[in-house]
Amino acid sequence: MIATAYAATGEQAAAGSGMPQFEPSVFQHQIFWSIASFVILLYLLRKHVLPAIEKVLDTRSNKISSDLDAALKSRQEAEKASVDTQKVLVAARRQAEQTVEEARLEAARYREMAKESLGQELSKKKSLALAEIETAKRAALAELHETVVDIAILATEKLIAKNMTKADTNKMVQEAITAVQEHKGQVH
Amino acid sequence: MSSTATSAISATAPKMDPLHHFQVAKHLDLSFMGLDISTSNSVYWMWIAIALVMLFFHLAFKNPRTVPGRMQSLGEVGYLFIHGIVTDIVGEKGRPFFPYIFTLFFFILFCNLAGLIPGSFTVTSQLIVTATFSLTIVGFTFGYGFYRHGSHYFKFFVPSGVPVPLMPLMIPIEIISFLARPISLAVRLFANMTAGHTMLAVMFGYVITLPWWGAWVPFGFTVIFTGVEIFIGFIQAYIFTILTCVYINDAMHMH
Repeated sequence: MIATAYAATGEQAAAGSGMPQFEPSVFQHQIFWSIASFVILLYLLRKHVLPAIEKVLDTRSNKISSDLDAALKSRQEAEKASVDTQKVLVAARRQAEQTVEEARLEAARYREMAKESLGQELSKKKSLALAEIETAKRAALAELHETVVDIAILATEKLIAKNMTKADTNKMVQEAITAVQEHKGQVH
Repeated sequence: MSSTATSAISATAPKMDPLHHFQVAKHLDLSFMGLDISTSNSVYWMWIAIALVMLFFHLAFKNPRTVPGRMQSLGEVGYLFIHGIVTDIVGEKGRPFFPYIFTLFFFILFCNLAGLIPGSFTVTSQLIVTATFSLTIVGFTFGYGFYRHGSHYFKFFVPSGVPVPLMPLMIPIEIISFLARPISLAVRLFANMTAGHTMLAVMFGYVITLPWWGAWVPFGFTVIFTGVEIFIGFIQAYIFTILTCVYINDAMHMH
């Protein structure tokens, strides 16, 4: 019907214009083949081309979204790891500070102890030294005393031998003994 | 005497027939149940256009990659271009029409572009071909609107917000504008293709008839105009596709 409608106008136009497009004898097969070609191309595109394109586009969008998800997940993991690391660092720092503090206290204690024991040692040594000095002093005094007594006796002997009679001598010896005895009692 | 002189001149001068390449020449006379299904140069170039479309997409997607190469990008751009037109104009509900519109665009585009090959035939310069498509499309949208909206679809011809006394004027205008759709759709494409190719043919005629020092001017023009024709071929396929979508949208949403 369409073809005949166009054919009617086409014949008039073709007569006047001489345009080959308006030659009605070539209409029918072109109508048929236009539709047929369209249907063939539609079939081919639907069967082979459109699914291929859609597959590519879908694959890409899936890949992009899964990549985005994966990226998000790795970011969260990284953040978590960073937080963990931070925690570990803080703990380590705290522990280090604690260790240092402990070491400082220990050192102070040791120093205190060392100071104390040194003081004790020193005072012990001092008292020992003092005792030794005392002993030495005593020994020296005793020796001095003996020496003085000996000298005194020698001197006295010599003096007596020169001037004294037997009676005098006896008397003096008696006195000397008494004196020595008294002296001894004083020293000791 | 003068008539013999004229015919003598026209016999010696090169024949100027810029419409010659619109001539449809039947090749095989075939008929099927009384229907003329002969093949012709026009039919062969439809097939060539189909083959070129398939070759283009074969090259684009023979080796599909997630990260596309040049040809694949071009094929994807074609797909997304048509997809964008359909979703922009018809919306998500236009999804079932997408394969038809996709086929329509690439068939017309490759017919237009193949017609620029020297010695080829431009299928879309045949009014009967463009009219077949436009009448099918408009007829389909009419049937689809009727199927979708029932008798409400006749409200499509009654513009809203128009005073009642103007209705006897407005309704015929709406009907005429609806009936003009297939004509304007068919004639736009046919006329663009015919005019462009006729212009090229005329210029090539000058290239042949002028001496070599003068032939450069029309020859240069044909070079530039071939570029323009590629652009026009694309634009016309685009317009045809867009208007098809607009008509489908009208049938679907009754604007």
